[in-house]
Amino acid sequence: MRKHKLYELVLICAFIFTAIPVFAVDANQILKQVDEKLMPESYESYRKLINEEPSGRKREYTFYSVKKGIDKIAMYYLAPASEKGRATLRLGENMWLYIPNVGKPIRITSMQSITGGVFNNADIMQIDYQAEYNASIKEETKKEYILELKAKSKTVAYDNLKMWVAKEGLILEKIECYGVSGMLIKTLEFKEVKDFGEGLVRPSVVETNSPLYKGYRSYMIYQKIKSRKLSDEVFTLNYLPKLGELR
Amino acid sequence: MKAQPLILSFIALLWIFSGFAFGQDEDKKLEWSGNLDSRYLLLQSNQNSPFYKMSFWKSGNLSKYLSQYRNDLYLNADYQQENLGVHIKTLSTFYSDSATSFSLLEAYGNVNISSSSFMQIGKRIYSWGKGYAFNPVGYVNPLKNPENPNQLQQGIDSLSVEYVKSFTTGPLANFALTGILIPATNTTGNHYAQIEDTDIALKSYFLFFDTDIDLMGYLSRTNPKRIGLDFSRNIKENLEVHGELSYSWSIPKSVILENTLNTQSKDNHSWLLGLRYLNEQNTTLIAEYYHNGNGLTKDEFQTYRNFVSGAVSSGSDTAVRRASTYNKDYFNASVLMQDYIYFKASQPEPFGWLYFTPSLLAIYNVADGSALISAPLSFSPVTNFELIFWSTIMAGGSGTEFGSKQVQKKVEVWMRFYY
Repeated sequence: MRKHKLYELVLICAFIFTAIPVFAVDANQILKQVDEKLMPESYESYRKLINEEPSGRKREYTFYSVKKGIDKIAMYYLAPASEKGRATLRLGENMWLYIPNVGKPIRITSMQSITGGVFNNADIMQIDYQAEYNASIKEETKKEYILELKAKSKTVAYDNLKMWVAKEGLILEKIECYGVSGMLIKTLEFKEVKDFGEGLVRPSVVETNSPLYKGYRSYMIYQKIKSRKLSDEVFTLNYLPKLGELR
Repeated sequence: MKAQPLILSFIALLWIFSGFAFGQDEDKKLEWSGNLDSRYLLLQSNQNSPFYKMSFWKSGNLSKYLSQYRNDLYLNADYQQENLGVHIKTLSTFYSDSATSFSLLEAYGNVNISSSSFMQIGKRIYSWGKGYAFNPVGYVNPLKNPENPNQLQQGIDSLSVEYVKSFTTGPLANFALTGILIPATNTTGNHYAQIEDTDIALKSYFLFFDTDIDLMGYLSRTNPKRIGLDFSRNIKENLEVHGELSYSWSIPKSVILENTLNTQSKDNHSWLLGLRYLNEQNTTLIAEYYHNGNGLTKDEFQTYRNFVSGAVSSGSDTAVRRASTYNKDYFNASVLMQDYIYFKASQPEPFGWLYFTPSLLAIYNVADGSALISAPLSFSPVTNFELIFWSTIMAGGSGTEFGSKQVQKKVEVWMRFYY
């Protein structure tokens, strides 16, 4: 009898010690799949960014973007004319902006916003979430996972994210972004799931608002996403002025 | 200068070129862009300054307040077909129908030899260094206007080759090597130059441990040899630091000694250290300290100023002409002395005022305490249109660098249209 109880105790301990890492691994695994569902491994895309002001007036930007792997993204401004020819590059937490008149890439930080509005540089040049954050499951309902993401380093734009993911298809639905102090900085909502072809089904609209920008809203609309093989050298400072040639 | 025939020929050429391009290919390979700046400038002259008296020598009794109206038309064309491209940037300035000028700022062709190596040939603007207002390692850069560093300047004739390599593992993420050949500027009969007088500029770039590092050098028989390095790194999500260091051999420095020009070549170094910070109110702050090893000391500047002052006081045309030539050939840099602090603060849409971005910038001369203080206010109510109200004052005593500038105060109004 005593031997039997000892056996049960060992089993319970084994379950507890193995269950905790399995749970953590699962959250990161979900995050990895969310990333994969959002973007192909290497692709090009056309996006429109709209900043809506409290008066209802809108400002629009059009970008051509290329991305490779989990942490390389480059963007070329197509419109408006005042911004045309600008290009940005992000390699992990390193970001640069190239302005034709300045003639050289200058470092920018993730919290700056090169387009104004609610989206900052990190939002516009979002790399895979798994590259920047460690995930854990905060809550699980019948239809969705609620993940808590903790930044891996201090240079990441947001210290914490709370992410809602639909269980069906592991489609990203919403993200709340928090600063180090725990203050809510902004909310990102992922809407209008669209089939972009090549098996890519994902939200085509990302809408954001922030308590820090009352009355403002910004949207990012994915118009076209297509897999494309790209060399690593495309994601270098020397290539930034030539990025438009890829179109 | 009568530039209309040249401009018309240039535009006609591009028009024909674009016709061919569109005719042969449905994809638009030729893209036009640019902006038109209509500018009105109001100046309050510093009529007590010897530099003012030298510039307006025998111009009669001019009003203390001067105005200027000009239109700057920037017209750019980029033609790209697969791995070949032609890029042109032009500036046409119109003061009046009888006073116009045309500048070819850039005109170069590029070839992508492979996905990691590129070649450009022609007239091209380079921009080396990490500093905003000053670049001690900008060996191939055009002269920068620190008050408006983004203003386009003339490029240089060159042949450049770039090689880029990306690494997926290890602390070195990117490496690039750039080599530039610069034809001799000293020519015989404006056509021929000695091949030994060709200059070579080299730059290697490393993205190492998330830090941009450039090592560069300039080799020349006729110009000073130089080596330098620069770096830039994001310390936090809202803080960036950067710096430059340059060493030059036998760089000529001109000073006035006993009322004559004295030029001596010496080795020296220049450096810059700066940061950019974004605070929670979305204010961007840029601060830089610049040491120019080849600049004038406080005493040397005083001697130069006294020399110009003596020339205009003498009433002699010859003396003023000589001072004017020295000024143009040896003392024409935007800043002449050794140590400066550059500061700029910029706040987009303060107090909820939409489309409005005020900035404040200052260039402070550490040696004599004088400063240029400027406040550009930008308002962009409509896409592709910008209204800029730019006021500047020079602060400092009459013997200081900024205090003795020809202009005491100025106000500029720009209307900028992008297309």
